[in-house]
Amino acid sequence: MLNTLPRTSNNIKSDFWVDEAIWGHRLYDEQTPWLCLMEFMGVLNSECERARAFMEQEYNTLAYSPYTRIYLRNILFNNPFMEIVYRDYQATNDEQKAWSDWIKLAEQNFGGSDYPNLSYLKENFDTFDKFYETVKFLQSNTIEGENNKRWSSQFIFPYGKECLYEDLRVNGNKVQNDRRFFGRTGELLYLMLSRSTKGEELLSFLEPNIINSKSIYNRLAQLLQPNYGKAEVARDSTGSYLPYEYLPEYTNMAEDWINIFNNKIPAYDTIPHIVNITGLHMIIYFLNRSKDVLKQSNKTQFILEILAPKKTIIRDLASDSYINNNNLSRQALEHYIRSIKETEEWKSLQSFPDPFFEAQKLLNRQFLWPSNNDDLLSENIDSLVEELVDKAIARHKQHVNNFHRVWGREIGFSSSRNSQRIRYAPTDSLLKTLVLANVPERMEFQDFLKKLFEKYGFIIGDKEATEVINSGQADQEAFSDNSQRLEQRLSSMGLLRRLSDACAYVENPFAKDGV
Amino acid sequence: MSAIKSSWVNFLRQYGPIPQNDNMYDETIQSILRKKKVTPIRIDMEYLDELVENFKSVNPYSVILTGTAGDGKTYYCREIWKRLGGSEVKWAENNKIEELVVNDYKVIFIKDLSELLEDEREILSTMADSIMGVENRTVFLVAANDGQLLETWKMVNQTYNVIDTKKCIEDLLVEGKKEQIGYLIKLYNLSKTNSANLLPKIIKEVLNNPGWEECNNCPLNNSNETLCPIIENKKRLEEENSLITKRLVDLLTLCEINEIHMPLRQLLLLVSNMLLGHPDVRDKLLKCSDISKINENNTTYLASIYRNIFGENLSERKRNSTDIFVTLNKFGIGSETNTLVDNILIFGEDDQEYYELYEQLVLLDQQYGADKVFISEKKAYLEGDVEDKDNFLEMLKSQRQRLFFVIPEKLVDRLNLWNLTTFQYAGEFLDQVYRVLKENQRVKPQYLTRLVRGLNRITTGLLVQNNDQLILSTSGNYSQAKISRVLEEMVSVSPKRGEYIKFDMGEDKQRLNLTVSFASDLEPVRLNLQLVRYEFISRVAEGALPGSFSRECYEDILAFKSRLLKKLDDRRLADGELEEAQISLKLLKVNDKGIVEHKTLEVF
Repeated sequence: MLNTLPRTSNNIKSDFWVDEAIWGHRLYDEQTPWLCLMEFMGVLNSECERARAFMEQEYNTLAYSPYTRIYLRNILFNNPFMEIVYRDYQATNDEQKAWSDWIKLAEQNFGGSDYPNLSYLKENFDTFDKFYETVKFLQSNTIEGENNKRWSSQFIFPYGKECLYEDLRVNGNKVQNDRRFFGRTGELLYLMLSRSTKGEELLSFLEPNIINSKSIYNRLAQLLQPNYGKAEVARDSTGSYLPYEYLPEYTNMAEDWINIFNNKIPAYDTIPHIVNITGLHMIIYFLNRSKDVLKQSNKTQFILEILAPKKTIIRDLASDSYINNNNLSRQALEHYIRSIKETEEWKSLQSFPDPFFEAQKLLNRQFLWPSNNDDLLSENIDSLVEELVDKAIARHKQHVNNFHRVWGREIGFSSSRNSQRIRYAPTDSLLKTLVLANVPERMEFQDFLKKLFEKYGFIIGDKEATEVINSGQADQEAFSDNSQRLEQRLSSMGLLRRLSDACAYVENPFAKDGV
Repeated sequence: MSAIKSSWVNFLRQYGPIPQNDNMYDETIQSILRKKKVTPIRIDMEYLDELVENFKSVNPYSVILTGTAGDGKTYYCREIWKRLGGSEVKWAENNKIEELVVNDYKVIFIKDLSELLEDEREILSTMADSIMGVENRTVFLVAANDGQLLETWKMVNQTYNVIDTKKCIEDLLVEGKKEQIGYLIKLYNLSKTNSANLLPKIIKEVLNNPGWEECNNCPLNNSNETLCPIIENKKRLEEENSLITKRLVDLLTLCEINEIHMPLRQLLLLVSNMLLGHPDVRDKLLKCSDISKINENNTTYLASIYRNIFGENLSERKRNSTDIFVTLNKFGIGSETNTLVDNILIFGEDDQEYYELYEQLVLLDQQYGADKVFISEKKAYLEGDVEDKDNFLEMLKSQRQRLFFVIPEKLVDRLNLWNLTTFQYAGEFLDQVYRVLKENQRVKPQYLTRLVRGLNRITTGLLVQNNDQLILSTSGNYSQAKISRVLEEMVSVSPKRGEYIKFDMGEDKQRLNLTVSFASDLEPVRLNLQLVRYEFISRVAEGALPGSFSRECYEDILAFKSRLLKKLDDRRLADGELEEAQISLKLLKVNDKGIVEHKTLEVF
């Protein structure tokens, strides 16, 4: 396993330190890729304000201050009486009444503040009608719209810094940062990009186009806030931990971001693609770290089924490939803990008067477990290790283990469509992201397949599947049919031009102007 | 009574979809022609004079002939060789590389680039030098399959000249151009030969072959008891103003606009199969000796030329692996229909309303229309005493396929001919838009405004009627969103301060575009308009959109929208309109009449 950076004092709170040691603190399945990006934007904005974006003075000492923007959020997401007041207003056309009715209701129901004051809204909007339209419009741009999360975990599109805030738990007038959906995966993302050596390039797009955007949409969001969204931030958030100083995975991800930014599309249109590609790189990071622990030196690979109308051998292989990868993290975790038994320190335990006590000390140093107040079931040192394995696996299964499955589905990489089993079967949206991130203008179809293989380990066509074919699991035709299906899909999406039987080009329609 | 065994029919059969389709290769034909005394099929070659001229000129260029298998590359090479004075005997030795001295130049012929071995390939280095203008008194004529063309160049030792040449060839190939300034090379992509123009020539050539004369003496053609379907099919193809040829040309033209090209050899295969196809005989292609048997079995009707056009005589597997049939079957002819046509076919006999048409379209065609098997199956179907109605439905399909090729011009509108295909707007697209533009005439405005309405509906996601302005809107965070209610701009269809929307045609007179201009000094944005897109947009505009279409085209239109929005950004930039200075947001609302109105939100 690669060398990892030391834990920081902030990290000691965990009940044990196993997942974190391998993948960082932390990959969290319930934080969808979109919410990961939102958390990331919050971090980035805070670091921009302190003029140190993507610069890490010391490893894992990130301290940032996200906004709460409690007014904006109450108005947009904790405002069910808006419609009632508006209906009344349409009937009576009484501005004064509408405002006072609404403000009264809103202040009564306001969450997260003792003495809310919403009177500034009347200054910002000439009419109640315009206020209503603004709210409706911004509501329609909720991230992952129509979700059923609590109101304080709803986010609007990141038009600019005035739209960025953290996930909160609001209970009456109290707010609390409970990390329900901002589980620090966005912090990991921020740290990865900081260590990618491409920070400056990324910033030259993100800062003017998103963080400091003057777009009209961001200004609309400002109008809903006291003092146009200028607010104080309170406390620093700390405790992020990304174990590895440098990985090529960081740079690969950053490069794909830059490739996507280079397309000739409006800045906000890049965001959904950024979300997809980030999800993919995170999954690759997750699997690569597992393989590293397991000392598997071969490349992480994914067999992709390009959705076929009927069941094919590729579907089975894609599903096997999915299951293999899905098991890696658990195997890695077990291996990681048990490998302590191979160390000299462990082997010398028997020479101590109380090996059982010494073993606990050793384990605690390594894994922060057991602590003094843990009730142990084990009576000897070997079962001690197994006890930790059991506990760690139980915790792993709750979240980290699901990361591959949940994120794969979220970005349209894996699916169980037309089948009982989950397998890798990319959606159109992901395919489009791949073209935008990999095809500068046009690229021969076979070269495209080759690039996907080299960069992400995707096996689609027969040339990339040589190993699988040689092992006798499928024939060449099955894979060449698979790549043909991809060709047709891309072509129907306007992303591929066929010159003849033998010659096709993948084209990025957003790479240049004109036809 | 035995049939004459015509060696011409046998030869023609070789061009059909037989298992060992050796006919793909010029080399094989030459050997058959030598053995049997058959007059070969000769198709005049568009570029031959031009090419010979090139090599005879003072400053010849190197030439690459590319295309798919069966486009006639080898044939060209041999003809040029002969015309430049090369000997046929030498050519027949089948060397991969041949040389000839013409004037002061050495002309090197490479008959098939992909056949060169690794060390032989290095000759391309010399070729690259010559193309890049290094005076070496050598020019090349190279035939290469387009897929392998670039592959091979990648495998050559990469000198600067090789790299430049490779890039040039790729550009020529992808952009469909013949030459590029600064490079002494011409690339002829034979796949660009228009198959719609080629087909009538092939049909004529086949019909006029002297080999048919033998059939005049055949007893099968001189009796009322027997019918030779080959001759029957030939007659139908020969008819003056043959609708078969005309409608096939229509279909192929639509394919060409779609950039689907059928090589020469596929067209020959089609013609051979049209004349000779039958599902019950060996290789599914008739020989003279098969005729009496199928006559006896009452299956002569299965040799119908109208079915054979779609490869109905072949097994599904074979049909689906033969390009020309795959392509023609994409039109769904036989499966698609309209009520009127089906009423004629099914109820025509007993229903006064349809009888006249029934007589004209069905009864009069004794062989393939009012064939006795069809009539009796139809009767059984109507009386409800059939176990297996699939058989009848299959026959109905054949009838619709036949009708597509026999409905006379004056009935085209009344019977909605193009409703027999998947593309209801294909006839209009071809006759009212494409051909009109090709003749440099004006397209009637209603076709343009309908497309604008369709585009407006697709890009806004709202059921709007507006058709004199193109509406550009976003959702506020995603230009590709299904519903886009933030109005960005309206672009006028009729010319106004540099804005306009019109149809135009590319320089090659092949590609058709819908062109949107934002300002006189900005390059307009073009949507390549092929049949599928035209159909999709038109159907959306008329309000009926089948699900099967949407997946295919929706993305294209959204990509077009993105480019339009980008161009709008360019115009704003040029006009000095800054995003920061934007002070109002316009939200789209659709009123009762389906016209877009907007509500303004001021933002200061």
